[in-house]
Amino acid sequence: MNPWRRLVAMLAETEPGSVQALFRIAIGLCVLGAVGTVVVAGLVEPLWVDRTFGGYRDLGRGPWLVAWLGGPTPRVVWGLVAATLASGTLLTLGIGSRGAALVALQGVMGLTWLNGHAGGSYDELLANALWLLVLSRSDATLSLSCRLRTGAWTDPTARVASWPRWLMVLQLVVVYSSTGFQKVSSYWVPGGDFSALWYILQQPSWQRVDMRWAAPFFPLTQLATALTWCWEISYPLVLATFWARRGPDRANGLRQLLRRLDLRRPYALFGALMHVGTLLLMNVGPFSAITLSFYLTLWHPDELRSVGRRLRSWATARPPAPAPPSPPGRTGRPAA
Amino acid sequence: MTDAATAEPARVPSPAPQGLRAHLRAAFVVFHVAAVLLAAMPAPDGGMKRAAWKDRTVQEEFAAWTGRLQGLGVEIEQPELEERLWTLAVAWQGGRQQLLRPFQPYYQYAGAWQSWRMFVAPHRYPGRLHIDLRRGGTWETIYVARDPDRGWLGRQLDHDRMRSVIFRYAWPQYGRAWRHWCAWVAAQAATDFPDADAIRLRYWKARTPSPDEARSGAEPPGQWIRTRTLALPDGTPLHEPEPDGADPADNGDDGDDDGDDDAAEVP
Repeated sequence: MNPWRRLVAMLAETEPGSVQALFRIAIGLCVLGAVGTVVVAGLVEPLWVDRTFGGYRDLGRGPWLVAWLGGPTPRVVWGLVAATLASGTLLTLGIGSRGAALVALQGVMGLTWLNGHAGGSYDELLANALWLLVLSRSDATLSLSCRLRTGAWTDPTARVASWPRWLMVLQLVVVYSSTGFQKVSSYWVPGGDFSALWYILQQPSWQRVDMRWAAPFFPLTQLATALTWCWEISYPLVLATFWARRGPDRANGLRQLLRRLDLRRPYALFGALMHVGTLLLMNVGPFSAITLSFYLTLWHPDELRSVGRRLRSWATARPPAPAPPSPPGRTGRPAA
Repeated sequence: MTDAATAEPARVPSPAPQGLRAHLRAAFVVFHVAAVLLAAMPAPDGGMKRAAWKDRTVQEEFAAWTGRLQGLGVEIEQPELEERLWTLAVAWQGGRQQLLRPFQPYYQYAGAWQSWRMFVAPHRYPGRLHIDLRRGGTWETIYVARDPDRGWLGRQLDHDRMRSVIFRYAWPQYGRAWRHWCAWVAAQAATDFPDADAIRLRYWKARTPSPDEARSGAEPPGQWIRTRTLALPDGTPLHEPEPDGADPADNGDDGDDDGDDDAAEVP
């Protein structure tokens, strides 16, 4: 089979819908948090309404959707806020998820692009996630839609296309590796004193509290700096695990080694620790929450189900029941 | 652990799908992956401002890299390195824009844009926002970033989106936006403090402390920048004498630039 036909066949693969559903729920909550906290802080009009109507900045006509709706007036902006929060709720509940993701995406872009001074990379990552949810049938299970269709919240027989999840994995790899390749500061790269994280923690803009108390732990921040830099620039190696797992059952050499190492685990563990540390020590908005939502997609639904079974058996002190096989996908092959 | 335990379950051979839809899907995925990878290529983007390159944090980076290159036997001085990097960055940006042009509608309508310059370098000379109020002829400080005892308007000013705003406006390329932001803060103060007759907003720009300085409690030297003093309640600019330690070249009234959305690196 030529490479194009191989690709076409690969993209026809399906899998149980649980992982994409969990991603949908997590991103729906991130939408509610990203916009809801602006409402609660009383910042909707100061940040997103034009100066003529009470905002602090000249915003012009705004991005295409806002311009089309009539410009950044209070009525238009509050309408977008309401639509975004409503679609975030529908996305979390899982009803009309593709449409809800599309509305949330346009709402998030419309609002956050209004005033680019008042945002960060998390707005772009949230938009990336919502577009991938437009492409995914993420409400096939763990959703109100599933409940209405089958009478149950979950549908173990539901199968969805695998490729949206693969694009979610790619997005995560791109975020980390791209930021890693751009960390060329002398404070980050080998040859310096690896003091980047120490000095970043001292920046008043992002710290939660004054961080001078961390001085005795400076060597730890140096270690964390070196590890973070290595971890980010080497993150594409995670893709190698996916390559290895797609090979024949009886693999040899590199493939076998990569399967045994399963780089997803150490990379996810380090990333989770880093994001939890960031959450505790700094306020950089919902970036950590959105990024951690992508971590779910590193695992095939069968793997997550297996972990769930083990946790349940551990909690009830009973040996885990044997796993029922997933119903076969369209190509008969569970995806990587 | 055996191979079989770590690999995916065995494949059931099946013919590749032949329908037009399957081919269109593959074409779309290729297009999406290309759009994402090309946009994620490292780029200085909004950092292409000469004024921003003159900031002490950026200048220290140039100095550090000049030293390293000289240590490796490369004969180069800092101004030459800076000029070469500027030329290279301009060329790179131009080529990148050409490459990305066909994908622009996709980025704009599908939210697929990629920009991941997060904490690419620590800001060694950040600004800490201070807000002072004048009542009965006496100045009192009502807000200092991250000071729990001086937190007027903290619910709004400490929100992550307002932190991004405040972080950016300490940079010189946001003159007009900074002035408008100060006017908005003055309007809030006029409501909350009807007995005040002036408000002053400024940044204390100081080098972040080294671990040794933090241990000893030493405060690195700094200077006031971007000072704006406004009459209350109407917000008219006042020309107050510069406070001690102020940078006379940076009075918060420079430039009429609103600043690019992406000009300062924000996580």
